[in-house]
Amino acid sequence: MVSIRLDKVTKRFGKVVAVNNVDLEIEDGKLYVLLGPSGGGKTTTLYLIAGIYKPTSGRIYFNEKDVTDLTPAERNVGLVFQNYALYPHMKVYDNIAFPLRLRKEPKSKIDSKVHEVAKFLRIENLLDRYPHQLSGGQQQRVALARALVKEPSVLLLDEPLSNLDALLRVYIRAELKRMQQDLGITSVYVTHDQSEALAIADKIVVINKGVIQQEGTPEQIYENPRNVFVATFIGNPPMNIVKGTVLEDGTIETTGSRLTPPPAVLEKIKRLKLKNILMAFRPENAVVSEHPIEGRFSPMGDLFEVEPLGRDAVVTVTVGEFVIKVVMPTREAMQLRIGSKVYVNIDPSTIKYFDPNTELNLEYIEA
Amino acid sequence: MKIRKTSLLFFLGPALFVVALFYIIPLFLSVYISFTPMVDWNVNRYLTQFVGLQNYERLFHIVMYDPDMRAVIMTTVVFVLVTLVINVFGGLLLALATYFMDEKMSAAYQGLWLLPRMTPIAVYSLLWYYFFHSSGIGVLNSILLKLHLINHPIALGLDPKYLPWGAWFIIIFVNGLVGVSYGMIIFYSAFKSIPRELIIAARVDGASTTRIIRHILLPLTKWHFTFVTVWQMFSLLMTYAQTFLLVEWRVVDSTWGQTWALYVFRTAFTTTKDQGLAAAASTFLSIIGIILGIIALKALGYEKMILEPKGDI
Ligand SMILES: Nc1ncnc2c1ncn2[C@@H]1O[C@H](COP(=O)(O)OP(=O)(O)OP(=O)(O)O)[C@@H](O)[C@H]1O
Ligand SMILES: [Mg+2]
Repeated sequence: MVSIRLDKVTKRFGKVVAVNNVDLEIEDGKLYVLLGPSGGGKTTTLYLIAGIYKPTSGRIYFNEKDVTDLTPAERNVGLVFQNYALYPHMKVYDNIAFPLRLRKEPKSKIDSKVHEVAKFLRIENLLDRYPHQLSGGQQQRVALARALVKEPSVLLLDEPLSNLDALLRVYIRAELKRMQQDLGITSVYVTHDQSEALAIADKIVVINKGVIQQEGTPEQIYENPRNVFVATFIGNPPMNIVKGTVLEDGTIETTGSRLTPPPAVLEKIKRLKLKNILMAFRPENAVVSEHPIEGRFSPMGDLFEVEPLGRDAVVTVTVGEFVIKVVMPTREAMQLRIGSKVYVNIDPSTIKYFDPNTELNLEYIEA
Repeated sequence: MKIRKTSLLFFLGPALFVVALFYIIPLFLSVYISFTPMVDWNVNRYLTQFVGLQNYERLFHIVMYDPDMRAVIMTTVVFVLVTLVINVFGGLLLALATYFMDEKMSAAYQGLWLLPRMTPIAVYSLLWYYFFHSSGIGVLNSILLKLHLINHPIALGLDPKYLPWGAWFIIIFVNGLVGVSYGMIIFYSAFKSIPRELIIAARVDGASTTRIIRHILLPLTKWHFTFVTVWQMFSLLMTYAQTFLLVEWRVVDSTWGQTWALYVFRTAFTTTKDQGLAAAASTFLSIIGIILGIIALKALGYEKMILEPKGDI
């Protein structure tokens, strides 16, 4: 029963600011995913919560209790590493028992706890093997067992699946999610894989250059990115970005086509006195065809490439200076001829508008 | 992967050549000389004479009946054992200390401990010559005089009052100081090669620094420990340069400051110039060294390290 709060936490390594003035609240019993590109500050944030790093400034609270100056052991966190970090000279049993032995718990209690957690994670038959005698997935479970055996108040996972093959990854992440829900343990999960984040998170925290870009449910992050970074980081392929010019009459012109934005957007454009605007839309919210479709915003371009991926295909169109990717049924995509003139028919209600100066989504700018 | 013999020879050839030229051939020469009556380096006269085991018989006789030779053996045993312990555990302590320092501090600190090894042997020995000098100019003497611990300068390494301990103390001290840096460097780089996450994991599991040392750092560097111990044992058995200078300069007693290796050197080059006897003593030392090496590797479990293959390379 622990909620975590980071209060204006900054961590510097020499000149590098790894985590910059982060405010974050992690609710009790929820699975939070820290998502961001390499070097974004995810691991550093996790280590700050664990107590491995001391913040350069700011405080960290567990349930209103200031834990900033407590050691990792005193915070009682369980930590799972990307490379598992199992003690190579100890058998699986001893790896799991290690934290309990350090707490000087009685032998019989240690034994029953180790077996209990091993049973829970279905690794009982591996207990007297050495880590190098295990597969990646098995090592991952052992690492998890070692973290869970302490009955930690917080479970921290640093890219725990990135050493596994794609199939196993999908399988184990579902298991992890189930386990987390069953135990109801407050968890922070670091990954740079956005599909993993979308699949398991209660809340996603997108972090880049040490700064939180957006915090929200997977739906919020996906449907309504707060800024251009999030828009172009989430989704596969990510959102398309097209730059437009705001005309006198309140319409937006781009690559020879015109669009009338919704009144709320128009109002903000006027208030911010924007001359230019960035428009973003998801690849699945457009269709490429030889003729423009009624009711859609349909800039024209050249068909560059069609990549069939089974049921759907990724269609690449160059529209003026922009490269646009659209996901549509393979059957329809295969009708199109490479190099021919085509229209990208975008559902106007799905377009998000961004201020080109701040790169912020207009919906997130206070009216 | 199968490697063809010819390509193996191509890659290993140069190294084998160097080993043969500088190690195997001198070894054979020395064994060969031990079967000749060579004295005064009179190669022309003695090289083709063959006296069988006569030199070994002489050596045996000396060992049995010459009290000075008893001193050599005792000095060798004490010197090698004590210096080995100082070298290995001193190196281990220094490596641990520097491992937990921040990088800049540890580099400076290690540089300091490397100085004795980087200083030319003659210069380094000269330093200790002045330090342990038996007159008032000796640094140690002047310190002790200032502190009124003694009234007259003492000759720690020469005065029969302090022998053999005085002489032993000096040679162990001087060689120990050179040797610790070796273990320090090996252990330190071994610690550094342990993934950082293992240390972090242990911290998160609640391990104190001493526990991390005991449960993580030391068990994971067992083989380095074996290696350093055996390697240092060999070099201590064979080393004589610093000790030779200290004996020649009359800082330590020539009887109680003389290890077996130094005895070999002095017999061959300075005292009796009896190369046949020296070669026999040297061969005997090599055999002892090899036996001790095998025992040490067995005791410390070297076999397990090289047997278990981690798969095809
Ligand atoms: N111990 C350290 N000393 C110096 N700089 C560090 C240290 N740890 C992290 N950094 C720097 O801080 C920044 C953030 O690093 P961090 O490891 O938190 O990134 P990350 O988001 O976990 O990236 P990845 O996905 O590659 O693991 C990087 O620029 C990194 O170089
Ligand atoms: Mg990381």
